[in-house]
Amino acid sequence: MEGAIIDRNNLTKIYNGKVKAVIDLNLSIKEGEIYGLAGPNGAGKTTTINMLITRISPTGGKATVGGFDITKNSMQVRKLIGVVPQDFTADEDLTGRENLTMVSQFYDVPKAKAQENIKTLLKLVDLEEAADRLVRTYSGGMRKRLELIIGLVHEPKILFLDEPTLGLDVQTRTQMWNYVKEIQSRLNVTIILTSHYLEEIDELAARVSIIDHGKVLITGSPAQLKESLKGDIISVTLTDQKSVETMKTIQGVVEVTDAGSNTVRIKVVSADNDLPKIINFISQHGLSTTRLTVQKPTLDEVFLEYTGKTIREAEGGEDARKMAMNMRRARQ
Amino acid sequence: MSGLWPLTVRELKKWVRNPTFFFTGLIQPIFWIALFGSAFDITKFLSGPSGGAAASYILDGAPNYITYIVGGVLTTMGLFTAMFAGTQIIFDRRLGPMGRFLSSPIRRSSIVFSKIISSVIRILPQVVILVVAAYLIPNGLKFPHGFTILDVLVMATAIILIAFIFSSIFSVIATRMTNMQSIFGIVNLVNLPLMFVSYAMFSRQMMATWLGNVAQYNPVSWSAEAIRMVIINGTLTTSQWTQVGQWLGALAILAIGLLSFTAYLVEKEIRD
Repeated sequence: MEGAIIDRNNLTKIYNGKVKAVIDLNLSIKEGEIYGLAGPNGAGKTTTINMLITRISPTGGKATVGGFDITKNSMQVRKLIGVVPQDFTADEDLTGRENLTMVSQFYDVPKAKAQENIKTLLKLVDLEEAADRLVRTYSGGMRKRLELIIGLVHEPKILFLDEPTLGLDVQTRTQMWNYVKEIQSRLNVTIILTSHYLEEIDELAARVSIIDHGKVLITGSPAQLKESLKGDIISVTLTDQKSVETMKTIQGVVEVTDAGSNTVRIKVVSADNDLPKIINFISQHGLSTTRLTVQKPTLDEVFLEYTGKTIREAEGGEDARKMAMNMRRARQ
Repeated sequence: MSGLWPLTVRELKKWVRNPTFFFTGLIQPIFWIALFGSAFDITKFLSGPSGGAAASYILDGAPNYITYIVGGVLTTMGLFTAMFAGTQIIFDRRLGPMGRFLSSPIRRSSIVFSKIISSVIRILPQVVILVVAAYLIPNGLKFPHGFTILDVLVMATAIILIAFIFSSIFSVIATRMTNMQSIFGIVNLVNLPLMFVSYAMFSRQMMATWLGNVAQYNPVSWSAEAIRMVIINGTLTTSQWTQVGQWLGALAILAIGLLSFTAYLVEKEIRD
């Protein structure tokens, strides 16, 4: 693709000649964008990332990162990129600042420049006070923040973020999102993000690819993907069952279902356009409502549509599958 | 952009900051020389008019057993410390830093060489402490013909080469290993045989013939004998220097070969 900072042509990884982790993957990522990769465990996300960061070699196809071939010019690729892996990589027996300094030396960042970068980055993620403490004294959230800036200390053009908020509480996760947005806007870094949390990709990514069984199923902006489902849900809770039956006669919507407890679920193409029509119908028929909610499709639903399973179900075992099935039934 | 310097500094910081690791490493040589020097000293059974001559014969002319085994204990200490270089690689793999190193633009061999170099550096203060302790204990280390800077150089060279040899071997073993128990198992399997199938603690005259024959091919023997030669004889004759040169030369060839093999293998094969 013209102007792509990452370009992959039929990238393939087959382990031990039989386990097909990634098959003929084609993706182009534009400079300066945040690009999300979503998919269940075993979908090929991590294998894809590991090939792009030159940790493993592809068994077929080609890919360039920043114009460099990942197989032939792996050292040049590593110089360009920053990596924030899923697991902690900081040395617990060193301080945060020492970890940052060590990594800056890996990239031959001049000492004065490295100190300046470290100061800026520590401030960015509010770790200035803890910078000279041993990393083993850090909380999980502090470690994640440190990992984030370790990946940035040499001012990479491309940053790979693999599950940056896994295991963090909701408050810290939101805080991390803000850091990622700020980094992207201030440093104009291209960010490739994988996450189990689809709302995270929804919040951060300009474009997203859903991967399963080593293949890209669909690519687009989160908004485009959600729109492609053509289905906002408007739930109307009425005062009695008779009103429910009346409500079910409404025309010009995609689908109307009785959700029980005097509630009707109305699927419409766009809630923004169709909500007035529903309100008019209620008013014209003299119906009385106790509750009306509008639900936009989430990336979870996009994921469900294209992979046939929810991401929680895909990640979890039997219990998660049952729970997901129950949730799906409950939603119908 | 080799990464060797920052990685070696990291190893040394971790060593100095861990008081247990640091101090036990420094106290260990004192225990070793005191315990081995007493436990294995069979010359105490030799008495009578010919006892002294017999003792001198089995100790290659050393005035006492402590003087005889200093070379062996120094070498064994180098050997034991170096064998643990591999465990540090597995720790890095298990605890996470290996992932960072492998995605950085550093030479992959630097990851391993930083362990090897720091092992060698850690051994050096132990050498000094062991020699001083051996010198201070009653009926301890004696330099019958003086002690020169050349002796110090031979001692340091032999131990550094032993450390390079065994830290390379164990780093190669750890290149793809993820299980700590496995490497400890290998260390435990080979450490005592390497020590006892050598001239580190006993001279060839005191060994079963087959054992003495095998021990002459053990690098631990070469290092122990080279150090022993300079301690016992002080100023060496030309033939003695030739012998020391052969031992150190063999150690150097082995060390260079193993370090080159380690560099080649690690660049290609090290995994997260």
